[in-house]
Amino acid sequence: MWLRRIKYLLPSHRRSEESDMQAELQSLAAIAEPGELGNITRAAEEARAAWGWTWLEQLWRDLQYAFRTLRNNPGFTTTAVLSLALGIGANTAIFSLIDALMLRQLPVRNPQELVQLKFRDPRGARPAEDSFSYDIAKALADQHGIFSGVCGFSGAGFDVGPRGSVSHVEGAWVTGDCYQTLGLSPALGRLLDRTDDRPGAPPAAVISYRYWQSQFAANPAAIGQSIALNSFPVTIVGVSPRGFGGASVGSVADITVAVAALPRLVPAFAAFLTPGNFWLRILARPREGVSISQTKAHLAAVWPQIAERVVSPEWPADRRKEMADSTFDLTPGGTGYSYLREQFGRPLLVLMAVAGLVLLIACANVASLLLARATARQREISVRLAIGAGRGRIVRQLLTESTLLSAIGAALGIWLSWLGSRFLVDTLSGGQSPVTVDLTPNWHVLAFACAVALANGILFGLAPAFQTTLIGRSGMLRQDTRTTHSHSRLLSSLVSAQVALSLLLLVGAGLFVRTLENLLRLDPGFQREGVLVVDLDGQREGYKDARLTAFYSDLLDRARRVPGVASASISSHTPLSGWTWTEAVAPKGQPVPQGDNAVFIAAGPNYFATLRTPLMAGREFDDRDRGSPNVAIVNQAFAASHFPGRSALGQYVTATVTKPPSDLQIVGVVKDSIGESLRTAPRPTVYVSYFQRASGTDSLEIRAAGSISQIAAAIHKELQPSFPKTPIDVRPLTAQVEQTLVEERLMAKLAGGFGGLGLMLASVGLYGLLAYSVVRRTKEIGVRMALGAQRGAVVWMVARRALALVIAGIAAGLPLAWLLSRKVQSMLFGLTATDAGVMAAAVVSLMGAGLVAAYVPARRAARVDPMTALRHE
Amino acid sequence: MDLLQGTLDMLVLKTLLLGPLHGYGIAKAIHTNSSETLDIEFGSLYPALKRLDLKGWIAAKWETSEHNRRAKFYRLTPAGRKQLQAEHSKWTGFVSAVGQIMGPLPEGGK
Repeated sequence: MWLRRIKYLLPSHRRSEESDMQAELQSLAAIAEPGELGNITRAAEEARAAWGWTWLEQLWRDLQYAFRTLRNNPGFTTTAVLSLALGIGANTAIFSLIDALMLRQLPVRNPQELVQLKFRDPRGARPAEDSFSYDIAKALADQHGIFSGVCGFSGAGFDVGPRGSVSHVEGAWVTGDCYQTLGLSPALGRLLDRTDDRPGAPPAAVISYRYWQSQFAANPAAIGQSIALNSFPVTIVGVSPRGFGGASVGSVADITVAVAALPRLVPAFAAFLTPGNFWLRILARPREGVSISQTKAHLAAVWPQIAERVVSPEWPADRRKEMADSTFDLTPGGTGYSYLREQFGRPLLVLMAVAGLVLLIACANVASLLLARATARQREISVRLAIGAGRGRIVRQLLTESTLLSAIGAALGIWLSWLGSRFLVDTLSGGQSPVTVDLTPNWHVLAFACAVALANGILFGLAPAFQTTLIGRSGMLRQDTRTTHSHSRLLSSLVSAQVALSLLLLVGAGLFVRTLENLLRLDPGFQREGVLVVDLDGQREGYKDARLTAFYSDLLDRARRVPGVASASISSHTPLSGWTWTEAVAPKGQPVPQGDNAVFIAAGPNYFATLRTPLMAGREFDDRDRGSPNVAIVNQAFAASHFPGRSALGQYVTATVTKPPSDLQIVGVVKDSIGESLRTAPRPTVYVSYFQRASGTDSLEIRAAGSISQIAAAIHKELQPSFPKTPIDVRPLTAQVEQTLVEERLMAKLAGGFGGLGLMLASVGLYGLLAYSVVRRTKEIGVRMALGAQRGAVVWMVARRALALVIAGIAAGLPLAWLLSRKVQSMLFGLTATDAGVMAAAVVSLMGAGLVAAYVPARRAARVDPMTALRHE
Repeated sequence: MDLLQGTLDMLVLKTLLLGPLHGYGIAKAIHTNSSETLDIEFGSLYPALKRLDLKGWIAAKWETSEHNRRAKFYRLTPAGRKQLQAEHSKWTGFVSAVGQIMGPLPEGGK
């Protein structure tokens, strides 16, 4: 029977059945007495229903009709579709990023079983710590009674290739049980296991499927090949499964090496394997059938003994005790780990809410357009109802139209979101490390967009549809003034709602744009323009101790001689690099505290001149400060906190820069300058002479007197030959500062963009309403003018209505803005969430936009010719 | 007299048990065989025929009538015969059940 019915889907079959039916009915009509058969047309209609596809036919007809009406009203259609596309596009773009970063499960076996381990100190004073030492990761992996697998991992970067042609590749360090824990099987070769994660094991690498394809043309012979990682030969043993790029979301690990190989590949970071270094994130799979709370209980029972073995014996007793008393938190780990979540989770959620507001405005726009059009189509619908169309049928037809509109909007929106999410990722990638996420639209994202579009089509098609058909029921073919009034009331409130929502958006835009401005305008205590930074890693090139210092000294001299270089210096840290060095320090004679209380930077001669950090008293480091006596320069914050009310110059401090602590004489005081973050005030800082404290991984600072890009190229050319194994990177200090502002820039750009979008959509809504009401009131305006109203008065009539709508919206929006903006206070800088200037600017721009939107309709009203108007209708 | 829901299909099948008929003929046969009590509207009969045809219980064929007119004649298929049996036993069960409850109307009942 189903087969027969499906046959009726074929138009040819339906046509032949139809003509057969007509023939039959005619033959019967000839046999029967006249009129005995009753309404044959209805009988045929109901017989067709038996075929079962009437609804589909009707839908098809509705769609055709909807297409025709949309095509015949290009202005309406374009406005509605664009509004929806922008609204849906903005939401889908942000949702797809949220999906990629926070919601998507790792492509591993049963990801929902995985947990991420976090460490909570006994007093609960600090937020849970998610990094662990290598020893802890290994000890937990041995707890077979609790976990079926424990995976410790961390991001890595490798310089890959032979001398002279190295490239940087993102990778990962993993503990031995990692792949087994995640339940992965190799695409080719084998994956790493415990035998690779033993000291002295031959270094082995697993490459990603994507890397295998791009670098080895998917050649199986890649297995067994040796590649130079940081100029150390490593054997490729396998290819990880397709689509898997490591457990860190946001970066793709193309080369994965066991942690045990780290000291050989990166000698400078050999200390990472010692008990005092916490750097591995842990994903674990509890034993099957063991609940999270049981796992926690087991873990709590065994941890004190483990802590005994794995906590650094060098730590003071109280710190060791605190470690042993700490507890584990288990959070769902199926989505992997991403530092981006902590950094961008909140901004993205705020942006999602903002995009939601944009969509609401767009929906209100479409609803008011539909409503205005429904009023215009009143007559058509009344006629159709009068000649016997069912109300449900007409509502269905109107809904088809609004859903079709949403569907077109959604299709365009998905395309826009595809562009938009790329732009988002680019913005995020401006940070310290590039962000790689898979943004191929997946069913999550598509389902999200479709759900939004469908809900929107039904929700905003329903009200106009019901309202219009309501009138017809009373059987009136003439315009019904009462319902038209309720229409325009609904329209006005929609427009005011749009104004209120865009006020929220504008306030948000103002807050985030001002935050970024404040941060950019902030005086950081150094002048970043014109300064180049070069990070140096001489240890990789085989230099050590005195030879390293001599090597760096030589590099500095050569950099100074490059034409166009005004001054150059060397230091252990550069501003906003993300690294800090702290030590404990006290004025000589006072006890040195247990914990670190000051930031330390080792700086070479001319450091402050190069960065243009003002010297307040004393002198800079110079060539005198190569040997003893030990000297120091402090910042004002340090001087003020340790030598209040007296000059710090010439005083001695004792600092833990050496063991035992040594005494340093203060030879200079400099202005406070930003080191860690633009948002936090500079901490008390002690500068020590670079050539008395060389560390290893240091940086050159070079102030350029001419074109910065030319000088950067010249420096690169001069220094690169000294680094045959590692590519050096000469970058402007401004770029380093910009990197720390990614979040602020993202918020300012997007909130600003959405604010503008909201304002535009609300203006279009307002314009539409005013234009529509001018057309409707043409006759009234004509009468007024015939009775002597001045054109100015008519213009004012329209403008007044615009202002009334905008003011109503502002009145509703301001309290909302005042309440909601507090939610983002923690993301702001240099202003409060209820900043009066920002609020005022938002109000003024809305008023302005309102007047602009009123301009054309007002002019049209003023041009109404009384005679024509009175003849109207 | 109104028909009970669903009885029309059964009546059509039963009527066709006697031999093939065209659509109008079926209506007339039901009318005559019910001593002119049941008057089936063609408007309801015709869609019912299409439904039964689609279910495969009846089959149609163009033939020439006794008055030398061409018409579409419907006849019972084996599946329709089986369906009629099922409906028949269901119907008798229903009638006897209703009969038991109703019984003869008591004397003097209003």
